Amino acid sequence: MSRPVLVRREQVLRGGQPLAFAVGLAVALVVGVALLVGSGHDPLRVYERMFEASLGDPRAWSVTLNRAVPLGLAGLAVAVAGSMGLWNIGAEGQIMAGAIGAAWVVRIGEGWPSPVLITAMLAAAVLGGGLLALGPAIARARLGVNEILTTLMLNEVAIRLVQWLTHGRWKDPESHNFPLAPMLPDNARLPGLFERAHMGVVLAAVVILLFGVAASRTAWGYELRVAGSSGATARYAGISLPRKILTVLVLSGGVAGFAGGIELSGTSDRITESLSNGFGFAGIIVAALALMRPSGVAAVALLFGAVQIGGQSIQTMGVSSSVSTILQALILFGAIAAGVLTRYRVEMVAGDATEAGR
Amino acid sequence: MNEASLIGLFEATVSFGALLYLAALGEMIAEKAGILNLGVEGMMAMGAVTGFVVALQTGNPWVAFVAAVAAGASVGLLHGFFTVVLGAEQVVSGLSLTILGLGLAAFVGRGSVGQPAGAEMVPVDWGPLSDIPWAGPILFAQSPFVYLAVIAGFVTWFVLWRTRLGLAVRAAGESASTADAAGHSVAGIRLAAVAVGGGLAGASGAYLTLSLTPQWADGIVAGRGWIAVALVIFGAWRPGRVAVGALLFGLTLALKTRLQTFGVDFSPILLSMLPYLLTISVLVVISIRSRNRPSPAPAALGIAYRREER
Amino acid sequence: MTEPSHPIGPTGPSETSGGDAPSVELPAVELRDIWKRFPGVVANAGATLRVRRGSVHAVLGENGAGKSTLMNVLSGVYRPDEGEVRIDGVAHHFRTPADALAAGVGMVHQEFRLVPSFTVAENVVLGACERIVRRPAVESAVEALAGRFGLAIEPDRPVWQLSMGERQRVEILKALWRDARILILDEPTAVLTPGEADELGAVLRHMADDGRTIVFISHKLHEVTGFCDEATVLRGGKTVAASLSVADTDASELAGLMVGASPVITERPPAREAGEIRLQVRDLRCSDDRGLPALNGLDLAVRSGQIVGVAGVAGNGQRELAQAIAGLRHVESGTVHLVGEDRTDATPRQRFADGLGYIPEDRIGVGLAPRLSVTDNAVLRTYGRHRRGPFLDAASATGHCRDLVDRFGVRTGPLDEPIAGLSGGNLQRLLVGRELVGGPRVVVAAQPTRGLDVQGVKAIQDLLVGERDAGAAVLLISEDLDELSTLADRLLVMHAGRIVAEFDPVTAERHAIGEAMIGHAETADDTGGDQ
Repeated sequence: MSRPVLVRREQVLRGGQPLAFAVGLAVALVVGVALLVGSGHDPLRVYERMFEASLGDPRAWSVTLNRAVPLGLAGLAVAVAGSMGLWNIGAEGQIMAGAIGAAWVVRIGEGWPSPVLITAMLAAAVLGGGLLALGPAIARARLGVNEILTTLMLNEVAIRLVQWLTHGRWKDPESHNFPLAPMLPDNARLPGLFERAHMGVVLAAVVILLFGVAASRTAWGYELRVAGSSGATARYAGISLPRKILTVLVLSGGVAGFAGGIELSGTSDRITESLSNGFGFAGIIVAALALMRPSGVAAVALLFGAVQIGGQSIQTMGVSSSVSTILQALILFGAIAAGVLTRYRVEMVAGDATEAGR
Repeated sequence: MNEASLIGLFEATVSFGALLYLAALGEMIAEKAGILNLGVEGMMAMGAVTGFVVALQTGNPWVAFVAAVAAGASVGLLHGFFTVVLGAEQVVSGLSLTILGLGLAAFVGRGSVGQPAGAEMVPVDWGPLSDIPWAGPILFAQSPFVYLAVIAGFVTWFVLWRTRLGLAVRAAGESASTADAAGHSVAGIRLAAVAVGGGLAGASGAYLTLSLTPQWADGIVAGRGWIAVALVIFGAWRPGRVAVGALLFGLTLALKTRLQTFGVDFSPILLSMLPYLLTISVLVVISIRSRNRPSPAPAALGIAYRREER
Repeated sequence: MTEPSHPIGPTGPSETSGGDAPSVELPAVELRDIWKRFPGVVANAGATLRVRRGSVHAVLGENGAGKSTLMNVLSGVYRPDEGEVRIDGVAHHFRTPADALAAGVGMVHQEFRLVPSFTVAENVVLGACERIVRRPAVESAVEALAGRFGLAIEPDRPVWQLSMGERQRVEILKALWRDARILILDEPTAVLTPGEADELGAVLRHMADDGRTIVFISHKLHEVTGFCDEATVLRGGKTVAASLSVADTDASELAGLMVGASPVITERPPAREAGEIRLQVRDLRCSDDRGLPALNGLDLAVRSGQIVGVAGVAGNGQRELAQAIAGLRHVESGTVHLVGEDRTDATPRQRFADGLGYIPEDRIGVGLAPRLSVTDNAVLRTYGRHRRGPFLDAASATGHCRDLVDRFGVRTGPLDEPIAGLSGGNLQRLLVGRELVGGPRVVVAAQPTRGLDVQGVKAIQDLLVGERDAGAAVLLISEDLDELSTLADRLLVMHAGRIVAEFDPVTAERHAIGEAMIGHAETADDTGGDQ
């Protein structure tokens, strides 16, 4: 009796990942059609609307770019850690921690000139995110505590911290029934770029580029690659694993925190408990699709930004915005399935035992 | 603070505890087999919406329950397919399923927001037992789901520690190659475990919409899936300890809305951080103690198994 | 014999024609003309084995002689390309280890397959128990079985608490629980203390007296003579001596059979004059990964312009010796001096700076990073030289890599592609080239030609000789006695973590070397120091 078996290919299919990504996108769109038809909508019109609203004109682009910023930075944060085999699942919380840091600077920086204030805000944001990641980083570097679980737990802690602050000492005295933090003053907002886009787009692009260069061209990036490939080889090359783990995880948290600062200053009016809005988790998907490479993160983040913005726009057509959430997940699953085929091929194997090999 | 409000607190503790326990048991089973399932939140949402919608359609809570479990199990199987068969990263697959599950649940339930429940699971009538002071209302007036949770706990313990199947499951999670060499199908075990895990998460979700708060709203799971993941760690992967942890975490959930009535001036928000902070402490303690003895965490947790790499 | 062959099935032992029980004359195990080929190598070339029922039978041979392969054929892990496996006279075609177990053949591997957090009983019955596991019943059953064979165990103890010897007993119990009548043990005493080894010997004797058949792979002469009734010697994939009675055979004869009478004669490179001592190891003691002693007071010295070869059967501390000299293993006592300086506690980087080139046994995973590119691997130890501030000068690194690839004849694809696709020979050339390209003063090479084809072997050997001629001090640790005989200026033999003998490769008698390798050296006092 024959059964199909996955056999590793000798050579990974060239150009496989972008192809897998495209397949994933195609699969998602097809399934999306089924969903939309099933709920009584015209899929073509819906997709058309999504495209128009996200990529149709410069204004749409500007909104999409804004959305791509936290997605891209969160994706970068995860990718930086991921290139060393570490999982930062705490971007969601680190974004919040970054926003807290930035908001705190706003509170003490009343009347500061805008460039100074914003710089201080973003610096505090990086610090906030890095600090939240410090605990898990030390625990992993010194004690080998699984960073997946520690960073995951701190997400909820950070979100609740924002809740606590906005309901308590940071509550806007003018908001009576509904606890809200005060709106950001004008000097705390990032200047605009074009249409609705803010400078955060440029900042994010620069940061992603920097990390891309650092990963591929610097000694630090080289050491990361070696450490990610094999711990024994890293020792052999004289690289200190604990130190690398610590710095990479804290840096990853800092990048996510940076996203929080930009999101606060650029897009959001004020700090709220929904500021991170799933960006941290979406960032993990973005990084996975980009194969943990900074170079791919920007492209994937842009796509996901378009899907998200498009998803918001179709609500006026009576279509649930959850369609875009579903699409994002489907893109990933389609890409995973297609990606597997770039590394393995399916063979029919006879009998019920395989040679164990030497 | 009076007797009635204390009884109400403990009653809620048991209710919330059961909610968490069901989902945590499912996660524990999957992890015992070696699969990290970060899709619990999505599976609970799918169970919740499926239960609610089917209840609306059929008016029968038991049918709705079965449908909810099936929904959760299906999502679990998806996770298993991607991780065990295709070898995808468990973290990525699980999180994507949470996103998918939450999105799909919102989509499916979009017409049912604010609708009254089509059917509910009425609390079980234990007759004279529910008249016992204190124990009566707390233990013997609960929804069937609570007793389901208790039974599930015992069954899980028995199967995992007293049967051949359970031995195989635990072996798959500790040392997949050893389980393979002993003749067990690691893939089959893991697929089954994660399906069961999803089914239990679905049941937990159904508890929400068929009993605890019989309505549907996007976001009704409210992060309790993540508490369940934390709970497994807190309980060191043992059903008894997880049950104790479930009651403890359930207490924090129950206290959230009751702190004021007890005159305690402590922020309920800070209180809700407690489960996560406690879990992190447990993680650190486990690691420190694991220097000399093996960690209670299943050794193969999160690691894909491919026979050729033996 | 023209008995039809009966494939084994889950229903149990198959029928034999002619008699109900296996007759006493039929061997419990008979392997006839077993051929097994792998890509690039013939592991078994018509090997045979006949084991008497109720005996303890040793299988001797150097590394690469085909012992493990043959045992894997017997235990169902491999299927032979040609040849027959007969158990009690009945031919079998095992497709999986489970088939072999069903026929009564159980194997105890060197690497245990146990679940550390499970109890002894749970490990024993995993995969072979009732639906409902009643702990007290299972535990007493396991205890009873153990008692029958004199194996002392506590069934409810978690395995992680057990010593190596105790864990091995659990492995043996696993086979016995599944009613294995034929037990194969692959170098079982490699992980035991001498006391535990003696206990094992007694247990095996007990089992043999009970009618079980034991096949025992070993290199240790005193075990062979102490525990075993008969011995079969393999060399080069063939059986060179079958079922010798141990009592009637001389140790020298056994050793001689194992290593062969005459080496493959190749041209020896012309001798050089040796200079100052570049590598000095004194009384080195350290442990292996399991915490067992690996080096037990080892001395050696290597001079510039000299190749010192270290022969020995694998598992006697060679790997740990190389690691200790390279700085990758903690030294408990003793010293390592490089070019006159004490470097016992120096980091690998420091030693590299001193001029140490290290070619590790584990090509992939220590020496080379499989997912990184050729260039990345080429600069693994020297990437600091290509730094321009924070940046890594890609052009400079690539240039260095190209230079290396050209000089050492490494056949690769594009240099920025992962090295995973390279053949073994090219990987080794890359690794060796990287270590030698800077003109090291000391070279430590551990199994440098293992697994390579003829050209690859020659290429690496030439490189090592070239280094020697350029004045380096070369320590060559190898399982290939022919290679050592050809290249080494001095030949040391390592056994049980010490240097036990020294020979002149040109004049030494082969069987004497073999005897030293299995622990039967005539002079057991410290040797290996400077000459």
